[in-house]
Amino acid sequence: MTTTDSPRVEKRRPVPRAGAGRPGRRSGASVARPGLAWAAPATLFFTLFAVVPLIMVAVLSFAEWDGVDALSFTGVDNWKTLFHDHVMLQSIWLTLLTTVLGVVVQTPLSILLGVWAAGKQRNRAVLSAIYFIPLLLSATAISILWRALLDPNFGVPSQARWLFGDGNLFGHQSTAIGVLIFVGAWQYTPFHTLIYQGATRAIPQVLYQAAAIDGAGRVRQFWSITLPQLRTTMVTSMILMVVGGMTVFDTVLILTQGGPGTDTTTTPYYSYVKGFKDFQFGYASAIALILVVVATIISLVIVKFSGYDKMRSSSEGL
Amino acid sequence: MKKRWLPRAVAGSVVLALGLTLAACGGGSSSSSGSGSFTVLVYGDASNKVEKQIVDTFNKTSKVKAKLQTIPGADYQTKLQTIINTKQAPDVFFNWGGGSIAPFVKAGLLLPLDDMIAKDPALKSDFLPSVFNGAVLDGKSYGIPMRGTQPVLLFNNKKVLADNGLTAPKTWDDLLNAVKVLKDKHITPIALGGGDQWPTLMWYEYMYDRMAGPSLFDKALGGDKTAWDSPDSHAALDKLKQLIDAGAFGTNFDSVKYTDGGSVALVAQGKAGFELMGSWYYSQQQQDNPDFAKTGLGYSTFPTVSDGKGDQSDIVGNTNNYYSVLKKTKYPDAIAQFLKLQYSDEFVKAQMAIGNLPTTTNTTNFLDTAADPAYSKFQYDLVKAAPSFQLSWDQAYPQSASNAMHTAVQQFFDGKLDADGFIKAMQALPTS
Repeated sequence: MTTTDSPRVEKRRPVPRAGAGRPGRRSGASVARPGLAWAAPATLFFTLFAVVPLIMVAVLSFAEWDGVDALSFTGVDNWKTLFHDHVMLQSIWLTLLTTVLGVVVQTPLSILLGVWAAGKQRNRAVLSAIYFIPLLLSATAISILWRALLDPNFGVPSQARWLFGDGNLFGHQSTAIGVLIFVGAWQYTPFHTLIYQGATRAIPQVLYQAAAIDGAGRVRQFWSITLPQLRTTMVTSMILMVVGGMTVFDTVLILTQGGPGTDTTTTPYYSYVKGFKDFQFGYASAIALILVVVATIISLVIVKFSGYDKMRSSSEGL
Repeated sequence: MKKRWLPRAVAGSVVLALGLTLAACGGGSSSSSGSGSFTVLVYGDASNKVEKQIVDTFNKTSKVKAKLQTIPGADYQTKLQTIINTKQAPDVFFNWGGGSIAPFVKAGLLLPLDDMIAKDPALKSDFLPSVFNGAVLDGKSYGIPMRGTQPVLLFNNKKVLADNGLTAPKTWDDLLNAVKVLKDKHITPIALGGGDQWPTLMWYEYMYDRMAGPSLFDKALGGDKTAWDSPDSHAALDKLKQLIDAGAFGTNFDSVKYTDGGSVALVAQGKAGFELMGSWYYSQQQQDNPDFAKTGLGYSTFPTVSDGKGDQSDIVGNTNNYYSVLKKTKYPDAIAQFLKLQYSDEFVKAQMAIGNLPTTTNTTNFLDTAADPAYSKFQYDLVKAAPSFQLSWDQAYPQSASNAMHTAVQQFFDGKLDADGFIKAMQALPTS
């Protein structure tokens, strides 16, 4: 992404710095690249909090450990069990399904809201601030709130029988998934709205002026200018949604607890259940590793097919 | 260049080190010795009132202070197992005895209390033996009873029953009749917190005991998987199915929870007639709906089943909860003093006042001081007369079985598993 830009950036950098009281760093050659030392803190943290745990999880997946007794290595036993565990296989499908549904629901909503919020209408700032509130709440608080609001006997469903029937939202697979998607969208749409708002603001006004001269109305401008210009933003936003959606855990834990039965047991939640309810940390680690692999593959596929890896500036040609 | 980054790197490391030290302080303070205190970890619910009071009483006279920590009920076991072998482990903790502490005993984490008992025999002799023995493993005592005994009872809303010409059901047929009458009046006959899953389990525990007696479950727990496939097991499931199909629990019980007060409110507000729950239900109602607890809450034993082989006066539930002590605690003497309070008159009175029934030998002296003396007497007589007191299945089985057990229990109730599917799921549970 930055390879084409970087030489330009580096050449530019010394210029403003020179004025900030740093004589002696004027020649371009001596500031070619920042020293490796600058990467040390990030590398340290990444190693400590991402690479080391990942390796430990991989090691743990070949062992049996209940968190109390001594750890014992059991070879590939966990992995053998894993591929015959129908709850596990179902959980991958459920994780993919909820992720896709999340993207499908949230993307159009946040594009529309974002484009709207980028304008200069009356009350826009006030309404945008209100839309933003869910993002400031913790996922746990949001889930507890919705669980209470959706109580079949005392919540919204009890007042709207025509819509909810007996209100057994958490008793069927389809409605339980629906609740998860809805609450996820309620929570994260504001964030993606913000991304789209910023990106829409960055679209040069000249494009709209030119389109207006050519006789394009608002709708036509939206389809022919705004949307194409938001393409890179869409990829960014979708990758965030996919990665976030594949690892959703707190909402499942509080809203459905993977139920009814195992009907909403997604992979991250199943890993938690095996680890912290059944105390089979080895098996839980194997599940977590599968999730890492699946999520990585999907991210790579998105990057590949969206052309994100070789994408150029969206202001190209201006 | 080199000279420039060095001071910065040093400064950065200092900040980092500081941050880490601070974080370490935050995590370790509970077990560091300076303050001279020990941590008491308990399951968070309405009974905490008494635990707080006892801790306060203890702290008034003791130099070493006790610090009470409560973990919201549903997460208690998870939190405990995660921290018990770490620095953050409590010194004293709440448990259910038996299977719930067996893994910790096996790992050598718990302090046998026999030395304490040798110094102060009342620590053992002042408790009912059958209850005290619930926390004896391999001949050593690992727990002191610290709450009340908790038989599961069938609670009801007296007004709902009276308005519909019903009385507390004595037999299974009475119950089926009550279900029919209430359903016709569009009242949910029996409130069930199906979302929590463990309230559903109580129906199985009673049904199996009524139909087969305690031996079926004992056999299954001992590893004999054929017990689940016996005719008695099928008969018990048939009876449950009959009740579910009669609409006893309404249609949306999977979305209702006990732990968030949903099913409790259903009964208190007269939207449901019955709820099967442990005896702590009284203190829960007292906390949520004090007026209803005083005047509107009725209770009875689980109905008898005429064609059942079990003794019809058996009960199920939790024999009691226990305080166990970690081996590595720095204050065993102070803790011994703390444990002695668990049979003090003050403790018994405080438990009685919130409707719990302690299992100390001096309990009978205070039956009249209870919040509801009739309720306490009813429980006391019930426990005394019961030939068998079945410990909740999810506490009797190893922790690692409870999630799969709860799932199967829920799936049979909402029709996703038939009797054979349920039996297979129970046979697949780990038993040791």
